Amino acid sequence: MKLKNDSKYIATPAKIFMTVFIVLVAVSILQGIILEIERTFRFSATTKPKAELTEEEKRIDRIRSSAKEFLPDGTIHLVHKPRRTPGRMDESEIEQIYDANDDLLWEGPTEDQPYEYLSWAEQIHRFHEGFTLWSLKQIQMITPEFSQALEIPVGPRQQIRQFWRYSPASDLFVGYGSNGEKIGYAGSTGFTDSKSKVKPFGEFRLFTAWCPQDASSPTLLWQTQRRIYQIDFEKQHVELIFESTEADIEVERTSLHAWRDVKPGEQKHVDRQKYRPLLHCITEDGKHHLLMRNPGQQLTITIPKDWQGWANYYHRFTATKQGIFLRRNWIEFREAPDYFQDRELHGQWLSDYQSKAMKHRVELYRLDIDGSLELLNRYDWTVPPPSVPVVRARDSRLAVQRGVSQFSPPLYDLVVRLLGRKFWSRALNYQNMGDFFYSLARMILDIRPYGGVINRALSAIMMFFVFLHGWPRRTSWANFIFWLVFVGAFNLAGLLTYLALNHTAVINCPVCGKRRGLARVDCVRCGAELPAPERGKLDLILNT
Amino acid sequence: MRFLALLRKELRECLPWMLLAALVFLAFGGFFLRALAYDQRHYRYYPNFSSGTLVERFQLTQHTPLLLTGSCLFCSSLGLGLILGVRHFWIPHFTRTWPFLLHRSVSRKTILAAKLTAGTIAFVISLGTVWVALYWYANQLEAYPIPQTVRVFIEGWIFIMLGLVVYLGTALSGLSTAKWYTTKILGLAFATVIIVTTFSQWSLVWAFAVIAISVVILLSLIFDTFLRREF
Repeated sequence: MKLKNDSKYIATPAKIFMTVFIVLVAVSILQGIILEIERTFRFSATTKPKAELTEEEKRIDRIRSSAKEFLPDGTIHLVHKPRRTPGRMDESEIEQIYDANDDLLWEGPTEDQPYEYLSWAEQIHRFHEGFTLWSLKQIQMITPEFSQALEIPVGPRQQIRQFWRYSPASDLFVGYGSNGEKIGYAGSTGFTDSKSKVKPFGEFRLFTAWCPQDASSPTLLWQTQRRIYQIDFEKQHVELIFESTEADIEVERTSLHAWRDVKPGEQKHVDRQKYRPLLHCITEDGKHHLLMRNPGQQLTITIPKDWQGWANYYHRFTATKQGIFLRRNWIEFREAPDYFQDRELHGQWLSDYQSKAMKHRVELYRLDIDGSLELLNRYDWTVPPPSVPVVRARDSRLAVQRGVSQFSPPLYDLVVRLLGRKFWSRALNYQNMGDFFYSLARMILDIRPYGGVINRALSAIMMFFVFLHGWPRRTSWANFIFWLVFVGAFNLAGLLTYLALNHTAVINCPVCGKRRGLARVDCVRCGAELPAPERGKLDLILNT
Repeated sequence: MRFLALLRKELRECLPWMLLAALVFLAFGGFFLRALAYDQRHYRYYPNFSSGTLVERFQLTQHTPLLLTGSCLFCSSLGLGLILGVRHFWIPHFTRTWPFLLHRSVSRKTILAAKLTAGTIAFVISLGTVWVALYWYANQLEAYPIPQTVRVFIEGWIFIMLGLVVYLGTALSGLSTAKWYTTKILGLAFATVIIVTTFSQWSLVWAFAVIAISVVILLSLIFDTFLRREF
């Protein structure tokens, strides 16, 4: 009997938790379905100006759409590709090259272009070339077909000699021979045959793989929290390329140029006769690290603080046999405020961005041996506001989102505030997309009520309903007040949970005549006991 | 002693379903495992890396030969959970045999504990042993190129535990006196949500934590309902 009485202290909260959890999931699914329906049937609502462009507007449009390219001596050219005639795929692609004074220098098919512009280091693309922490989580996801493993084969396809399997738990590669026998380990200390001699690489962040021209097996550029390694499985060699002792390396901001030994004609091929292999990474203390080869060189650069905070700002590096260059692009307009922090402010910024004249800039710098920057050339152009203002239709998604979020728990607002900015920046980070709890947090961010008046009013109406419903059914004051607060905090999900767990039939008290619930043996108003059913009339509800 | 006697009775009732689940899993899981041993191309594919080219990110990920066996284990586990839940907690209601069981000189707690223990043992014996045997076979190097990861073995046990969650969810739904379209369905709905939540995890620790919390919640509700309700 003791268990029976004690069990309610665990069972009651467990029942409430289970019910509200299921109802919250159901309400969120419904909200998600409504948002997706809106997304599916949304049509393009922005009206673009259709007025015929003047000659000057055409010139500005051409300058805006032209690629701004630099020659190794710092000269800038504007490379314009006029649109092809619709439907004429047989026309060869034409390029027009203008100088900084807008004089036409050359026009002709792209393949005959006489200039050789500087090419720049590019970030490792997370979907095609890069295997990120998110990808690792994806293959480790628990599915009915089990998780997958990361395995590097060594040898040609028909005669694989070794397999090197990555073990995420120990941050090591474990090697197996073609007969399945364990042959060794690979870690930060290199390749070894004993587990005691090997040290882990460190927390994995990213890798990119390629097959060098003199090999038939992949080589990996392996980035961890603070180090970057190059692992050659065929030659069984681990090389520490870079180590940061002061700060973590920023995730997915590592760029490469001519680093991977790719043959001509292949994707990402860069002529190594003209360019030095370059790896550019950024550490969280804001320092940029350039690692070059032929000859080996390492530079650490601190980008001026006033370079940051501008719209469309980015910079890239390249290293030729003649020197190291930096290209900076930016617009003289402050960058957008955080959408999730203040949607109204973000909307205002977007409206200003689309309606004001803006100066775009591109600059070329040369880097000295000590990492200092020397401006070689710059070019700027002003994009005027559209002559016919862009009329943005009411954002239907925002309206629908506002509508569905009125039924979200007001508690979500509190949760968002309590969890803090650091948590939310982690939750919104692409690397954490695969995490269930971060996904849950992002969903809360999407459907939170943003302190809406309608949401609070709906909660108040539901509390009033619960008050009316619960008054004759109340079993204790604490219980009654708990449910009122619960419904106020959880809105629709709270109301459904309350009804699921508390709805009982009511009868008229035979003594005082007022309504009373059947969950309590005595009347909440007059204290009279529940009447026993009359002989032959078993249904208490129908007979009272 | 009474508990053991009750446990034997419950296990006797579970036995046909235990055998059926074990046979189904062994037959289908074993067949798929054997079939993949003959042709590894179905789960292992290494592209011919040509020199001087980039390697696409998913060219280096490999499935385990147990991939189809895993699906069989998952389905068998859910099926066994559903069947045992119905057998233990719904059938006595339909056949009106609850009073015969409850009017014995043993406490309700003992009766319930015997049922739940029998259910758990059924999972471990029927699916657990077959899973251990198939995993062991998949590690035989004559049939497969390299040994399987320990993670796959643990994931198999997660599937078995999910079956146990379904069993407990079915038990809770079976014991509820509410209408099926109201709170009676909550037990099964909760088990479904837990399966989805577990399949959204990449961390084994979190997967175990989710299952453990759900088992605690379901057990507390089952005990509370069973000890309080009138049969």
